[in-house]
This record gives sequence, structure tokens and C-alpha cells, in this order.
Amino acid sequence: MKNQANPWLTSNLLVLGLGMLPALLLIGALLYFTAWAFAFSFTDLALVGRKSVEWSWVGLQNFERLFTRRGFLESLWTTVVFVFFSAIVGQSVLGFLLAVVLRGTQSTIRSVVEVCIMLGWLLPDIVAAFLWSATTNQTGLINQLFVVPFGFPPINFINEYALPIVTIANVWKGTAWSYLLFSAALDSVSREVVEAAKVDGATPLQRIWLVQLPIIRPHIATNMLFITIWTFTYFPLIYAMTGGGPGTATQTLAVFLYNQSFSRGNLGFGSAISVAMLLIVGLLSLVYLRMLREPK
Amino acid sequence: MDQGPSRLTAIALAFMAVIWVSPFSWLILNAFNPLSTGQLEIPRAFGLDNFAMAVSGNAGRQFLNSMLIAAGTATLSVVVGISAAYPLSRLRIPGRNAFLWTLVLLRMLPSAGVLVPLYFAAQRSGLLNQLGVIIALTILNLPFTLLLLKNFFDTVPIELEEAAYVEGASLLQIITRIVLPMSKAGIAVVWFFSFTGAWNEFLLPLIFARVQDAFPMSVGLYAAFGTQGAINYGFLTAFSILYAAPAVGVYFLLRRNMNTGFAGVGVKG
Repeated sequence: MKNQANPWLTSNLLVLGLGMLPALLLIGALLYFTAWAFAFSFTDLALVGRKSVEWSWVGLQNFERLFTRRGFLESLWTTVVFVFFSAIVGQSVLGFLLAVVLRGTQSTIRSVVEVCIMLGWLLPDIVAAFLWSATTNQTGLINQLFVVPFGFPPINFINEYALPIVTIANVWKGTAWSYLLFSAALDSVSREVVEAAKVDGATPLQRIWLVQLPIIRPHIATNMLFITIWTFTYFPLIYAMTGGGPGTATQTLAVFLYNQSFSRGNLGFGSAISVAMLLIVGLLSLVYLRMLREPK
Repeated sequence: MDQGPSRLTAIALAFMAVIWVSPFSWLILNAFNPLSTGQLEIPRAFGLDNFAMAVSGNAGRQFLNSMLIAAGTATLSVVVGISAAYPLSRLRIPGRNAFLWTLVLLRMLPSAGVLVPLYFAAQRSGLLNQLGVIIALTILNLPFTLLLLKNFFDTVPIELEEAAYVEGASLLQIITRIVLPMSKAGIAVVWFFSFTGAWNEFLLPLIFARVQDAFPMSVGLYAAFGTQGAINYGFLTAFSILYAAPAVGVYFLLRRNMNTGFAGVGVKG
């Protein structure tokens, strides 16, 4: 209702409309491409060969295959484990703890720790994958420091504990985002509220749990939403570290989608996988958005 | 800020920082070792030969390609984003929030899913080149960019704009003198996200860049595995450091803006 009284806006509606035009065009393109991705999921389109030209509509066959053929459900489970431990438990909880602890420390310590964590986040995915493969292989840092000196034979971690290693690598890479977000959120909690709780005799733990956490709840929900989406569809780190293997041990849905679409060339089936992923993440987001809505 | 920093916390934090940077040891030790074997060992020689090798040949061109793609995507996203996010923030367009969140939900479609239609469209319009990569990445970025920028503009008090209007400022002046300077931190953060995202992007340029001259560093690094026969770890690690450096550099330039900028991320859409 306010902008009715804002003449610099109302007298320039045409200019503002023109300003929105490029964005609307690009968004239109995004909708168009997404619509195509949906359409492909009902076809047997292939990357190469006869079916890349003479494809046909196959109805729900691709979606039936998600449940009747091996691969999709296993990958879904791997993805759930990966997202839960690396994003929700690892990045979110660790990021929050760091944000709380670093608020109370000197600025030098804070800067040093911040920069260290940021380095992981800033590193390109492929380089991060090199680092973690090198660190966890038989001659890597972990073996040289913690296994070989104690007389044990070196362990090929990346092969034997592939999923935990990939999960740890992702925590290492992604914690900075959650830390920065929570740190900014805690800054927005007014000092008076915290002081008042202190005067009322709240312990530090109570102050965090009962005062700060409820206030920054919208930030927590937003953070959960973003990192869940990203981790759910996150591809390069895992692919460059393990390629989904050994076997299918680290084949998350994103890797499964890539393998089906581009290694095997089943674009139709691949599109069905991405549509299924969209539905799953969409449902999860609704849960988070409810959290955002407002309490009780 | 309540109690003085306890010694125990400081030690725990230092310990964590060491763990966090320890994987870099392999990268550094190999990159500065001309006789690198890819093992984790203290080098017997020290030199910059690997870096010399990494900057010769195709690397310079790949660096420029990456820079063009990343800076182009970031700048295009921010410019297109600002000119749409300001009206979205100020005009009461019905359903604008639902619209923005729908877009964000749409972007949950894994990018590998829209890659194929994107590729066909680029092929048909002759955009299988750097410009095509920039436009494609901007399209994929735009939902998040719009949402974040709108949130930042929402925090600029409209009273300031009113005052400026009364003083006789035009719309353009209001935007360039008041709105943009006040949301500088947020814009810097959005630009930085788009820049690093595009700099790291691998899949899209791999499929769009058909000739070696058009490869950005991410694809070049990946290709270096195949072409060298036996993997040359010295080259690989030195190249990795050069590849990682700009994002780290840009971060340090924008570091002071980051915290302010992040406050806007959590604001409700």
C-alpha cells in the first residue's frame, strides 16, 4: 500500500518494467528447459544411436523402471545417508558450534579459524577431490601419521570406507557456508535479550538453547533448505573422488543420474531420475518452509 | 564476549584449524617439488619448475577463458538480477514471493537434468561457445540471485528514497546514489557466489566447449589427466594451486563484506 504514495516508482512503471524484462526472458528460458526435461522423462530418448533421432513416447515406463530395476532405490538410500551426515549433522551442527564458540574468542583466533575453514569452501571441487584422494590413499597423510607408525599395514581408506570418506570430505568443504550464515544470524540477535537472560540466571547452554536458537530459527530453516538442496544434487566432488564406486558404494542419485544419462546415454530414463529427485527435494523443502512459517 | 576466551577453547580451535588445513600438505609439497611423484614426502629438491610448466602451453589461455566465463557470468547475473530485484522489492506485484520461491524450487532440478535441453537450444542458436556458457550459467543462477538481491533491497529503508525524491532526485539517481551503495555488501556477496560458482563449473563448459582453445581451467585440469600418459603430479598440483588462487584472492578482497552480506541470506523471502 505504501508504494501508491511513492511517485518516483509510480511515474516510472515503464522503466521498471523494462528493467525486469531481461530477467523475465531468462526465467522463461529456464521454465522452457525445465518443461523439456519433464517431457523427456516420458520418452525413450537416447544420447546416441537410432533413438536419439527416432525417439517415441513411452508413458510412465521410465518411472516404473525406477522401482523395478536395481539402482534407483539403492542410490536414494546412499543419498539420504550422505545428505544426513554430511549436510545436516556435519556442516550444520559443526557450523553452528563454530559460530557460537568463535563469537566469544579473540579476533585473531577467529580470523585464523575462519580463513582455514574458508579455504576448504573456496577450493574448486576437482582440486578438493584430488586432495582428499591423496590424503586418504595408502601413502596418504592419514596412513603416514596414524596407521603406519603404529605398526599396522596401510589401509586404503578411499576404497574400504568410501562413503564415510566422501562424507567427511563434504563436511570439510561445506562447513564454511553454514558457519558464515549462522555467524551472521547470531549477530542479529540483540545483545539486550541475551543479557536479560543472563541476569535472570540462565546458564550459557540455556542462553543458546532457549534464547538464541528460537530467535534465529528462520535462519536455521533457510540454511537447512539450501544445503539440503545443494547436497542432494551435489555431483563433482563424489564423481571425481570415486566415480560412484567402489561398486555402487558412493553412487548418490546425482552420480546415478549422470551415469545413466551420459555414460549409458539413456536420456529418457535420466530425465525420469531428475524429475523424481525434484519431487523428493520439493517435499523436503515444504517441510523446511513450514518450519520457517512461524512457531506453534 | 561474555567470558574471556578460555585456554582450552583456544587449543581446541587451533587443533581444528590444523586438521582443516592438513590435506593441503600434499598439494604444497608436490607442487614445489620438481621431482614430484605424487607421494606425500618431504621434497629433496625445491623449485618452481612445476609452476613454470603449468603456466606454459595452454594454461594461460585456459586461465583467460575461466576468467571470462566467471566474471561474465557474475556480472551478467548481478546486472540482470538488480534491474529485476529492485522492482520486485518495491512494487507490490501480487504473488511475487510465491513466484520467487517457485523459481528456487525449480532450480532443485539437478543441473544434469536441464543440461540436455540447454545443449540442444545452444546448438540451434549457435551458442556452443563462451557466450553460451555465460548465458546458460546466468539462467541457472538467476533464481537464487533474484531471491538474495530482493532480500537485500528489502532492508534498504524506503524513507531514504522518499527524502531523495523530495530533494528532486530521479529514479536513476535514487538507485545509483542510495539503493546500490546501501546494498553494496549484499551485491558483492551475490557477485562472489556467482563468480566462484562459474569458476568451478565443470560439466557445462565440458559439454559446451568443443575445441581445446575454449577450455576453461576446470576442464583443462580434467583433460591433463588423460593427455600426460603417466600422471604428472608436479604439473597437476601446481596447476591446481593456480586454479584455486583467484577464488581465494577474490574472497580476501571481499572478506569484510561477507558477514554483512550473509545476514541477508537468512531473511524470509
